[in-house]
Amino acid sequence: MNKLILAVLVFFTSVAVHSQKTDEKNSFDKIKERLNVGFESNSQWYLNDDKTGDFDEDEKLRANSYLRIDYQISERFSSGFQLESYMPEPLLNYSRLFDKEIGLGTFYLNYRTKKLDLTLGYYYAQFGSGLILRAWEDRALGANNALRGGKIVYDPTSYLRLTALYGKQRKGFEVSDSNIFGFETQFDIADALQIERLNTLQLGLSYVGKQEDYSNETPNPNATVKIPEMVNAFGAQLDLEYKNIYTNFEFIYKTENARLNNFIPNIVSFSEKALFNGNAITWNIGYSQKGFGIGSTFRRLENMRFFSEKSALNLNNNPTNQMSLNYIPALTKQHDYTLANIYLYQSQPGLVIENYEFPLVKSGEIGESLDLFYNIKKGTLLGGKYGTKLSLNWSYWANLKSNYTDPSGTPYFVGDDLTYETELLNFDNKLYSEINAELRKKWTPKLKSIFTYINFSYNQGFLESKGADSFVNAWIGIAESTYKFQGGKSVRLELQHLSTNDDARNWAGGTLEYFFNSKFGVYLNDSYNYEDSKNTENTKIHFFNLGGSYTKGSTRVGINYGRQRGGLLCVGGVCRPVSKNTGVTLNLVSTF
Amino acid sequence: MCFVNAILRKKTIKLVDFNKLMISLLSIKTNIMKKFICILVLSFNFALFAQEQLPSTTLKTLSGSNTTLKEIAAVDDLIVVSLWATWCVPCKNELDAVAEVYDDWVSETGVKYYAVSIDDSRTAKRVKPMINGKGWEFEILLDENSDLKRAFGVSTVPFTIIIKSGEIVYKHTGYTPGYEDELYDMIVALKG
Repeated sequence: MNKLILAVLVFFTSVAVHSQKTDEKNSFDKIKERLNVGFESNSQWYLNDDKTGDFDEDEKLRANSYLRIDYQISERFSSGFQLESYMPEPLLNYSRLFDKEIGLGTFYLNYRTKKLDLTLGYYYAQFGSGLILRAWEDRALGANNALRGGKIVYDPTSYLRLTALYGKQRKGFEVSDSNIFGFETQFDIADALQIERLNTLQLGLSYVGKQEDYSNETPNPNATVKIPEMVNAFGAQLDLEYKNIYTNFEFIYKTENARLNNFIPNIVSFSEKALFNGNAITWNIGYSQKGFGIGSTFRRLENMRFFSEKSALNLNNNPTNQMSLNYIPALTKQHDYTLANIYLYQSQPGLVIENYEFPLVKSGEIGESLDLFYNIKKGTLLGGKYGTKLSLNWSYWANLKSNYTDPSGTPYFVGDDLTYETELLNFDNKLYSEINAELRKKWTPKLKSIFTYINFSYNQGFLESKGADSFVNAWIGIAESTYKFQGGKSVRLELQHLSTNDDARNWAGGTLEYFFNSKFGVYLNDSYNYEDSKNTENTKIHFFNLGGSYTKGSTRVGINYGRQRGGLLCVGGVCRPVSKNTGVTLNLVSTF
Repeated sequence: MCFVNAILRKKTIKLVDFNKLMISLLSIKTNIMKKFICILVLSFNFALFAQEQLPSTTLKTLSGSNTTLKEIAAVDDLIVVSLWATWCVPCKNELDAVAEVYDDWVSETGVKYYAVSIDDSRTAKRVKPMINGKGWEFEILLDENSDLKRAFGVSTVPFTIIIKSGEIVYKHTGYTPGYEDELYDMIVALKG
């Protein structure tokens, strides 16, 4: 493989050199303007730390690097590939499936006309909002679940789009052991029927099927059901917009599949006495006009984890959610500030049955999120000279209320014929609630501030599998101001405080950032837990970062020295656990 | 390894020699750090290239119809495209700053500003109320599965490009307070 990669690199470099040597500026320019190259490298040097202990794994210096090259061969054909390097090992807490020093991650060949878009090789795709299918990449999360096979997108008319796909899903540098089939149609009814009064009226229908052989090395003599080879999911979506009001409804049904037995945490086994189907409902509605917007999202999920290999359902073995077919982010507001990212709600798609101190059935979640944006006009009392921008968000999430039965009468965690029934609209088992407000204010042309208030209640017992419900109730206040000097210089100061008597108790934090010009900046930030508490791991310890970045055009280099808090690292509502570590990181990103 | 890069740039060696050199260098038993630097250097050889053609990635408009940057550039000559997200504070700072001066930009240069949201299904439903609530008047497009972000090879937002006569003439990563002034100077120069 390495030789192949080198050959490809040498070829491309040769093309470049060759084109220059011939002094045919035209042909060089042609190649140049058709090529797109993106490079990213994130490396970390892990250090021992007096406070948190020595770094006791083998490799202290590690780097994840990606080189992506796309080339427009002709008007209709394009091709590309992505090389990935995890050297000598992936960064801490990334999936060990990424086990190559240099490997070919993805490659594709694409043919595109006005009506047809055909891809062979690896491709990314999303049906609807991704609840039924989303193949995507997020390097910060170590997620790449592209499909390898073929995809056809066909637009017979302006109001109809048909998508069909087949593939095997990426699993590290291999593909998973199953076949994925997908079909989607998007029909723009308003356009087809020339309904002028509606801004939008669209219908989407989708199907995703997974075919996976199941062979149990030691057949279970007590099995009363056969684990299905095929799991199908069907989806329907309707979008409507009339004047200033919009709404969107989506429903997914997933056919029966076996339930994971996490009888022994790291061993994958399935219940062979009962099968369970799943479903999801989301409903959005909103209204907006200039200066004012309001939007609401309701979602109910029941048993909606969907993986290309069912063994991936065991998240003890798969903490980074590799091989997921669908995308189920938490629908709480995504915060940018460090202290607002300590107690994070993660979506609960189910189905997990746990038994620590007492039984817990996690069959799914139900909840609601509401957003409001308001622009207070210039020249009013609150608006001041430059206007004030206000945004509010409220959200509430609960565990689906389910009643379980265990016909065999044996304790349910041993006998696996347990079944359950859920209630459609029951919000009693609270997992998380949050209310937050953000105010953006411009004082003078040079000085701006943002004030944020967050009040949340987090069911730590349930969400971190610590047994009975126990809540962390806290509020966070954040104030930041930016002052702009002449010549692109600016300074930003941010202060944060998290107040609670629960868990690790109070935190204080802050950031000071200075830009010498639009290219070069330095920063220092710190989060400090300053009170004694039962949570000794996070007591009286500074989690700090000191670093700088240099940007020129589309190239950015960043260096950072710091101590990271252990916990969840979340990007776009999907999280991976990270352990506490100290070190120097170097990030390099460039596109040419 | 770094001298390879230097040589490449100066174009002082023949193609054949260069390939031989590369292969011999790469076949030497090197330790991991050297390999890593090697990847780095090789990647930067590609700095010789710069993408100018627009990708034909499908983007969604707020009313749900499909479009591409190619189609947009066929209509408007001078365009700024900025990739952003509802959860990205520097992005919102950039868009707030541009929104304040956007009227002047349009009347002085005729530039069209397209803010392409890379919000995925977690936050995409927040785009519509937010842009109206904030009173932003530029065009908004959606890139829900990050297809355009990938086509540009971008890993962080905000990311801004300027398109003139259907070609990408400038790219920039990040936002610092006051950067909108530099951007405007560039637009004026291109209008020139």
